Amino acid sequence: MAQSAEGDLSAKPWLLMSPALAAVALLLVIPVFFIVVYSFWLRTAVGAVEAGFHLDNWAEVLTDPFYRDILFATIRIAFITTVLCAVLGYIPAYFIANAGRQHRLLLILLLMLPFWISYIIRTMSWINILGASGALNYGLMGLGITSEPIRMLYNEATVILGLVHFLLPFMILNIYVSLEAIDRNLIDAARSLGSTSWQAFREVTLPLSLPGLAAGSLLCFVLGAGTYITPMVLGGPTDAMFANLVFEAVITQLNWPLGSALSLVLLVVLGSVVALYNRFLGLGQIAKSFQ
Amino acid sequence: MDDTKRYQKLLERYRNGDIDRRRFLSLLGAAGLVAGVAGPFTRHAFAESPSQVRFDGWGGVVSEAFRQYAFDPYTEATGITVVDGTFTGADEYLAQVQAAGAGEFNVAHLSGVFDYARYHNLDLSSELNEDNIPNMQYLIPALIDVLREISAPTLSAVPYNYGTTGLAYNRAHISDDEMREKGSMLLIDPAFEGKIGGWGEWKTRIWYAALQSGQDPNNIEDMDAVWDNIRAHRDLALKYWSSGAELMSLLAEDEIYVTEAWSGRVRALQDQGHDIGYYDPPGGLAWQECLFVIKGSPMEATEELLNFMLEPEVAIAVAEGQFYPPALDPQKVELGELVPTLPAFDPTGTLSELSFFDPAYWNGNEADWSREFSRVQRGY
Amino acid sequence: MSGERPQSPTLYSAVGGVAGERGGAETPSVSAPARLRAALKRIDIGWSLITGYTVAVYLFMFIPVAIVMLLAFNASQFGAFPMEGLSFRWFVALWNNDAIVRAFRVSFLLGGLTALISTTLGVLAALAIVRYRFPGKNLISTALVAPILVPEVVLAVALLLFLRWLDIPRSFFLLLCGHVIFTLPFVLLVVQARLVTIRRDVEEAAMSLGAGPIATFFEVTLPLLMPAVFAGMLFAFTISFDDITGTLFWKPGGLETVPTQIFAMLRHSVSPEINALGTVMILLTVGLPLLGAGIARRMARTRGG
Repeated sequence: MAQSAEGDLSAKPWLLMSPALAAVALLLVIPVFFIVVYSFWLRTAVGAVEAGFHLDNWAEVLTDPFYRDILFATIRIAFITTVLCAVLGYIPAYFIANAGRQHRLLLILLLMLPFWISYIIRTMSWINILGASGALNYGLMGLGITSEPIRMLYNEATVILGLVHFLLPFMILNIYVSLEAIDRNLIDAARSLGSTSWQAFREVTLPLSLPGLAAGSLLCFVLGAGTYITPMVLGGPTDAMFANLVFEAVITQLNWPLGSALSLVLLVVLGSVVALYNRFLGLGQIAKSFQ
Repeated sequence: MDDTKRYQKLLERYRNGDIDRRRFLSLLGAAGLVAGVAGPFTRHAFAESPSQVRFDGWGGVVSEAFRQYAFDPYTEATGITVVDGTFTGADEYLAQVQAAGAGEFNVAHLSGVFDYARYHNLDLSSELNEDNIPNMQYLIPALIDVLREISAPTLSAVPYNYGTTGLAYNRAHISDDEMREKGSMLLIDPAFEGKIGGWGEWKTRIWYAALQSGQDPNNIEDMDAVWDNIRAHRDLALKYWSSGAELMSLLAEDEIYVTEAWSGRVRALQDQGHDIGYYDPPGGLAWQECLFVIKGSPMEATEELLNFMLEPEVAIAVAEGQFYPPALDPQKVELGELVPTLPAFDPTGTLSELSFFDPAYWNGNEADWSREFSRVQRGY
Repeated sequence: MSGERPQSPTLYSAVGGVAGERGGAETPSVSAPARLRAALKRIDIGWSLITGYTVAVYLFMFIPVAIVMLLAFNASQFGAFPMEGLSFRWFVALWNNDAIVRAFRVSFLLGGLTALISTTLGVLAALAIVRYRFPGKNLISTALVAPILVPEVVLAVALLLFLRWLDIPRSFFLLLCGHVIFTLPFVLLVVQARLVTIRRDVEEAAMSLGAGPIATFFEVTLPLLMPAVFAGMLFAFTISFDDITGTLFWKPGGLETVPTQIFAMLRHSVSPEINALGTVMILLTVGLPLLGAGIARRMARTRGG
């Protein structure tokens, strides 16, 4: 397994990947092929589909500024969410990795606690915290800081808040897994060579934790960009992300051809991000620094 | 579980010599016991088989009431199992039915005349033999007539309950008099900016915007005025809600003071001691829900199931669970104590005071309006 | 007994990783630098800041959880502040609600199987991608992450169309396949990220000592990979446990998971029994490991003393 000589063209990697590849081919690639075909079809007046080869959906999706604007807004929201997750998540991940080992399991399980409460319930419960008669306003008014409840809910900021809350555990755990793998002797060596702990962190810990940080960021970005329930529950009337448009096209308007074209746009945009990740931040590159 | 039991019963009869081997095996196949093993090939047999019927509806109290009062007695009487599923909305369910193809789904608790027409147009409607559903005699004729108009002369569903989408208001901030005076205009009253809610559904938004511009929602002449009112509401509103649970918490937590609302949900809030008023303005929106039988279902078995579900006892239990009046005619059936106090309840049984979506008009405009609303909602 | 280290191989060794072993598997006691580090930690202001920051982030994570737990004890259904009274009625209702308990069992089984299968597939695929070179690698590693790139609602509908074409009815197995497919990227990403940091010379050393590739994997690579495997399983389980859109479309009739139960209740109102269910789960999640740790420590003490 370890003796992968450069340019090894053996069957082994294919054997190892075959179950995952088979699953993805059968359950993803073929359905995506259906989506591609559908995107050239048309919706009939009653909501069924009409086979054929029409470019109408693509013309609409690619030229209408409505879709472009919401796509940009989606990317912006996902990007802000990712940065916030990284900023909020790195230090706790570092803390977990350096905590005594009997505390780690507890810390990780605590991190995953919110998932025991269904997503929709968690998301809706922000009304009890940030709402007009929620805990925060209750406290602020009780302390006399404000006399009127402050309006905090149902805007882009609360959408991001909800996303960060949802995605932060993924970021933290990904970083933790990388940090935990770092050989402490390296840090001790750096310290014993006279580095300050900050220098040791910057020179040793941070670079070595990059794979986890990158994987976590990718996950946060992609999941953030593909969400539709959070904007629905925590956004105002105008707040929408691209997946909401897909959902509306497919479910509300029964316009599967248009929904297919829209989701292919999202797939291509997010797919390019992943391809960039694989190419530049990619594992091949990072792996090289370990050889 | 039930299949196993049936298998054992059949096996016993076979051993006793009550049935011969061929009949035993064919019954076994019909019982769907092999469906799990044989997979794809038995699906059609499965759908035709009278061993089970699938029902899809709203979860929680409604499905509990159905299970207890209708499905279990039905299974006991006929030996046919009711497999129940839940959906989160009519749109999502229709997408499922379309993707899976007819035959897998049988009976559904669908909303309104609008959806009835949609299913009919998509060639998903069945033809009920009304002679097999004697309990239909207790239903309000007006509710049946609108359905029959679409699929004349036959029916593909039976009405089950009705309600209204009127205006809910926080009585600490809006008096009954003010509500009666201003009605739907309160939804676009700048005095309540940030304290207004609304259902994020295009039909309801257009209906109320038409009322605000003084038009008949079933015959809108000035569509631009309607879109303008929707925009005005959008800019003043704090939030579009998307479920009854969300509507209730927005009202209960003082997050919004006025919104249009489903009658049964406001009643549930009032019962919990919240000071929320409910008002059906002139021209306010009414709707009905029906039990729709999807094309490809085993008709006799589903007709019998519908008859069980239409038993007044069942319909009243469901109504008391969800706070929407049953489609039973109060002139013919004694409805108990709670039902006559429900909002939207019409003691005359004629429903002549209520306005419903005109299916031909709304289904005709559905494609354009639902898409346009998606844009207008986002600030275009 | 320091209590630093559980006496028997437990979950802790899975999460705790193998940092101690890495220095040399033959020294079971805490190494000298580690002790020194611990001492330094105590006086380090930086560490206090890190601790404070971590506590703040955890509090942020817990806010909605705390609210839901509080509401589970609320006598009335709405209005948390000020609370009108404490009550256990929702717990009683939960205990008596077969539908929710059944849905919970389905969710738990589904999540567990999903975690098991998708972690296995993910680890194998990650090994191939990180340890081998082969043509089309970039494309394949992108394709393996693709299940979370397609909006779930579209994937759900597309998969149903495909199955209708094949004439395959919905089943629990199909639902499981669907969950495996979109939890796979989570596992893959976290395992890959860990795998690249595992130095190949460790594996090579084992091989040079005569271990076969399979033995090397199970005795060297997998233990080093364990934290990522555990994280991947946790991801897969929670994602599956929490999923709604795909589940709605793929579940067979008569089968409900906790999220589909909740979504079907949304039209009327979600019963606070759901809050009670979350509360029970949280108390179990926090309580069981604490209890386990307590027992382990106690046993260690009696044995030692």
